[in-house]
Amino acid sequence: MKHCALRLVVVFLVSLTVMGAGNDLEQRFQSLGHKMVCVCGCTQILLECNHVGCPDSSRMITELHTQLASGGGDTSIFNWFSAKYGPTVLAAPIRGGFDTVAWVVPFALSLLALIFTIWIVRRWKYRRPAHATSADIQMQIASDDIRERIRQETEY
Amino acid sequence: MNPQNIQAVAHPMPEFGSFCLLLALVLSVYTLVAGSLSLWQIAKSRAGRIAPEKLLETARRAGIGSFIAVVGAAVALVWAAFTNDFSVDYIRQHTNIALHPAYKFSALWSGQEGSLLLWAFLLTGYGFVLRVRHRVDVRLSAYASTILAGVQVFFLLLLNFAAPPFSIFQGAMPKDGNGLNPLLQYPEMVIHPPMLYLGYVGFSVPFAFALGALMMRYPGEKWIAITRRWTMVTWLFLTCGICLGMHWAYAVLGWGGYWGWDPVENASFLPWLTGTAFLHSVMMQEKRGMMKVWNVWLIFITFMLTVLGTLLTRSGIVSSVHAFAQSSIGSWFTTFLVITAVVCLFTFILQKDHLKSENRLESIVSRESSFLFNNLVLLAACFTVLWGTLFPVLSEFVQGSKVTMGAPFFNRVAVPIGLFLLFLTGVGPLLAWRSTSLKSIRRNFVLPCIAIIGAAVILMGFGVRPWKSAEAAGEIYSLLAFSLGAGVITAIAAEFLRGAGVVRTQTHKNLFASMLLLVRRNTRRYGGYIVHFGIVVLFIGLAGAAFNQSKELEMGFGDSVEVGGYKLVCQSYTQDSNPNYDTDYALLDVTRHGKKVMQLAPERRFYNASQTTSTIVAIHSTPLNDLYVVFEGRNPDTGKPILKFFLNPLVSWIWVGVAFVILGTLVALVPAIRPALASQRVRADEPALQEAVR
Amino acid sequence: MGIVAGGILTLAVLAYIFWPDRNPFVQRAKTRADYLIERRDAVYENLRDLNFEYKAGKYPEEDYTTQRASLEDEAARILAELDTISR
Repeated sequence: MKHCALRLVVVFLVSLTVMGAGNDLEQRFQSLGHKMVCVCGCTQILLECNHVGCPDSSRMITELHTQLASGGGDTSIFNWFSAKYGPTVLAAPIRGGFDTVAWVVPFALSLLALIFTIWIVRRWKYRRPAHATSADIQMQIASDDIRERIRQETEY
Repeated sequence: MNPQNIQAVAHPMPEFGSFCLLLALVLSVYTLVAGSLSLWQIAKSRAGRIAPEKLLETARRAGIGSFIAVVGAAVALVWAAFTNDFSVDYIRQHTNIALHPAYKFSALWSGQEGSLLLWAFLLTGYGFVLRVRHRVDVRLSAYASTILAGVQVFFLLLLNFAAPPFSIFQGAMPKDGNGLNPLLQYPEMVIHPPMLYLGYVGFSVPFAFALGALMMRYPGEKWIAITRRWTMVTWLFLTCGICLGMHWAYAVLGWGGYWGWDPVENASFLPWLTGTAFLHSVMMQEKRGMMKVWNVWLIFITFMLTVLGTLLTRSGIVSSVHAFAQSSIGSWFTTFLVITAVVCLFTFILQKDHLKSENRLESIVSRESSFLFNNLVLLAACFTVLWGTLFPVLSEFVQGSKVTMGAPFFNRVAVPIGLFLLFLTGVGPLLAWRSTSLKSIRRNFVLPCIAIIGAAVILMGFGVRPWKSAEAAGEIYSLLAFSLGAGVITAIAAEFLRGAGVVRTQTHKNLFASMLLLVRRNTRRYGGYIVHFGIVVLFIGLAGAAFNQSKELEMGFGDSVEVGGYKLVCQSYTQDSNPNYDTDYALLDVTRHGKKVMQLAPERRFYNASQTTSTIVAIHSTPLNDLYVVFEGRNPDTGKPILKFFLNPLVSWIWVGVAFVILGTLVALVPAIRPALASQRVRADEPALQEAVR
Repeated sequence: MGIVAGGILTLAVLAYIFWPDRNPFVQRAKTRADYLIERRDAVYENLRDLNFEYKAGKYPEEDYTTQRASLEDEAARILAELDTISR
């Protein structure tokens, strides 16, 4: 009885890990399949290429399954595909090296632009207003008459 | 009579069209030369043999004449399409006899030459309106008209020498044409390209006004008020064009999405982003006399981006699924772009001192700086999209191999920028002009913040938990978009209610009437809020994409499938044909909770003339999600259809959002009514006094 | 035939372009006063906006007072110059 229970637990645990692995493999398949494009010229994501009779997508999907089953890491699978089909098979440049520039530049430039904007805002804050005012006009501004007139004309 | 003469007699319409294009070119050159000469004379106070004002008037009329000539050419091309005149090579390539008449119009823009003619037509059309309405400001209009004539000259040179639409097919007259690209045989395709072109071309007008105002050192900011409507109308057209394109991609291309970050899509998005930035930052110039340099460059850049976009997509520099025949046209556009940039830079350097700011910024926490940040974010987005579009070219140059810049790149880089923009949409209008105190921030931001937190908590309660697995990590953006959206909507609603409250105390009308009056008194502000509301709704729709599901399977008679609470049963699959195309389709009964909802009929067509296939997607749309079915083809062994099912949440929100954006822009275009002054209102309350006034 | 139609169109357009204008529209050059009136209208608009937003309860009293004062200064400066010109 005890033996039987132990066997059940073992079977259960094994099935869990197997299921987990299956799930994990499917997840990786989905994730990798969405990071590559079909090479038939439709420029669609590999798993979204939707035309029946596409000369490439089904073969590529099979290849992806094979690569996953053989236990390669993500990077090695990507390398395998880009060696076979050229780097354009990757939906975004992720090979390192110059490819990194693609990702860094937008953020770096946004940051630079942010610093620039802050600098501009500060400069504007300490800028002198363009209009100089003569003494005569200065006197008039102070008068309550003119202020009353403005208030009357700008009520809401 | 020799054979050449016979040919000449045989093609009156194309001949007329070619002649019209030549005439339009000559007239545009005249407008440019006579306009420049007379404006120069006026500026330098020199008189020639003819009074410069008279010369200027002839230049204006020649500009109007160029529009009439281009209309002649466009009519000739459409005529050739309708009369199946396949002796015109362009018509032979882009139409066929069995083509539906509505789509014969689309022939005008389905190819390189025709679309350039449409461009010239719209450009001279805008020029026509500008020149007819010149009394708004004669001098400024003259400058703008002359600059616009320069742009016209470029496009008409192209049409006359690089891409003539009326070239005659050499060889025996074909019986039928090659037919229109089947992807274009869809109702929206009759309006999408003209809308997009209206937007694209329209930016030439504010550009011409801005450059003209700078050239003539226009005193004051009134030119902005003059161009404001132009800019808004153009922006509206571009927005409609882009969104129709999205809807078309969604309903026709059949991959379940609406935006693929294709270079052509990006090219239309770039000027939209800078145009949006311009629409916001001109307010700073109008209200405070600030950001003049910035605004001038924004509109210059917007115009140059429309040219650059065209250059990118038509020269074959970047590869796109939007097929335009690759041609030598690229070098023309490059030259034009360089000339434009040089003219802008030169004018700017010469007149820089005219763009001095009149005010200073009083506080960093103010509406002014929020506009600056809005501009910063929009420009960052613009740069990112441009960078992503051009990086393959750069990569080929640097490392010798092209790379793909697909959706994964853009989604990762552009989504955070988009969310920041959404955040600013809410924050900006709540900040005061000049400076905002902490007390005021507390007063205005409490409600939106509560809404953000509340929405986040509710969503997490419904199971949106980005941290639960690596797969769901993408949901973080959706969670942010939904909660920020709730905050922004609260802020907008508060603005409306507060404003209506003021009107209500003045007029004693009910809330709805007060709100209506409020909007009429400040159409620009409240139209703007409606646009913002539309953008939020649109973002909510976009955020739904994180929860998309799809399934693909082969279905025979009676087979069924479950997709997100819907049950689909295949009733039949069959074939049909008409002279234009053969079609394969399946009939699917859709039930939900045992009740029949509707029948869907996804289709796949084979067009005989062009020997190509296209899909007609069947969509059942509800506010919560879209059931989207694609007929992918038939299994050659079993003959059964292979169908792909998508469940796309919240997609209809995108189209609703767009509708609000359009509504808001239209509201903003309506002139506002000035509220009566308080003193007048008092008088109105006293009939006796009113009598006395009479 | 096509050329003939083109010729007629050309003649018509040329006639339109060079037809003498009986009473040409002349635009008065913009004066400093015109410019100031534009500026005044803009500042007035800002003031009206400020008053409205204050009534709507968006700003606390002290913010409103300082902002109104600075906008009124701007308006007063313009009005004063306008008065000097028209005098």
